[in-house]
Amino acid sequence: MVTLSQHPDSGWWTNGWVDLGLRWLLGGLFVLASMHKIENPAAFAKIIYGYDLFPAAAINLIAIILPFIELTAGLALLAGFYPRAAAVILSTLLLGFTVAIAINALRGHVFDCGCFTAAEKIVWQNEPAWMLGRNAFLLFMGWSIAFYRGRRVAQVRSG
Amino acid sequence: MRTLLIKIGCLLTLACSLALLVNWLSPNGIPLIGQWDTEVGVVTADTDLAALWAEFEVPDVATAKRVFDSGKALFVDVRSPGIYDAGHIPGAVSLPLGDLEDRLEAVLADVPRQRPIITYCSGRLCQDSHTAAELLMERGFENVLVFIDGFPGWTENGYPVATP
Repeated sequence: MVTLSQHPDSGWWTNGWVDLGLRWLLGGLFVLASMHKIENPAAFAKIIYGYDLFPAAAINLIAIILPFIELTAGLALLAGFYPRAAAVILSTLLLGFTVAIAINALRGHVFDCGCFTAAEKIVWQNEPAWMLGRNAFLLFMGWSIAFYRGRRVAQVRSG
Repeated sequence: MRTLLIKIGCLLTLACSLALLVNWLSPNGIPLIGQWDTEVGVVTADTDLAALWAEFEVPDVATAKRVFDSGKALFVDVRSPGIYDAGHIPGAVSLPLGDLEDRLEAVLADVPRQRPIITYCSGRLCQDSHTAAELLMERGFENVLVFIDGFPGWTENGYPVATP
């Protein structure tokens, strides 16, 4: 009999509870990160402008839609609704954020990360090295959830 | 794989619909396209607000200089104290936006409410001079204008700069 903790096709770990912990942690973080951006889209748009990477016509649209992708995928992870799809979305976002931060760090462009907005006022948290390290860790969590093959705990809809 | 893509599509569609709906209903909502060209004016996501502000803005640096030369207006520098100390428009008072509300009465105690006041910050990338102007108007100052080109615009034209 295959138990929850010993599924033969699991990912690098074999415990559904670890998967649940990662989902809640990553999902919660993204829900939290989306809040400030949703409350003040104009300020978030200014931060996106500050990245100096996007065409003017796209800036407002990104500011309006991106936080809701974070919110929806974050809530989906928390609720166990399409968790793999949500993890793929968030991992893709994280990859995009990482590339954006890295490009600006490499060209010495001073910018506001805007990742969590309020929390980022702490100066060292706005250091590119810290941001990239954090993103790598979050990305690892996202991929772990996406590639997990075991049975999931507390799942409403699979996939 | 195909079902996974469909599920991703479902989540993204839900997110986009929700985003547009909330943005449409929310008082903080912004237009779908903003004003991000410094040639046109102060960069902002909210073009509706920008249109409203247009009549309170000093149109160009030359006009700001003429007002400066007339000596009739008081320039208010809303940048941080350190940046003000490094150089500012001569005669400008320092009222950093962060503590503008607390210090306003003390610093502008002797300024008649009718006297023209011109706020400025670090040019077209900052909105602080607008926020400051709004606060000053709320406190009863009747002739407040925003010098949108700010200190960078001023120095680019080689106009005089004061350091304390």
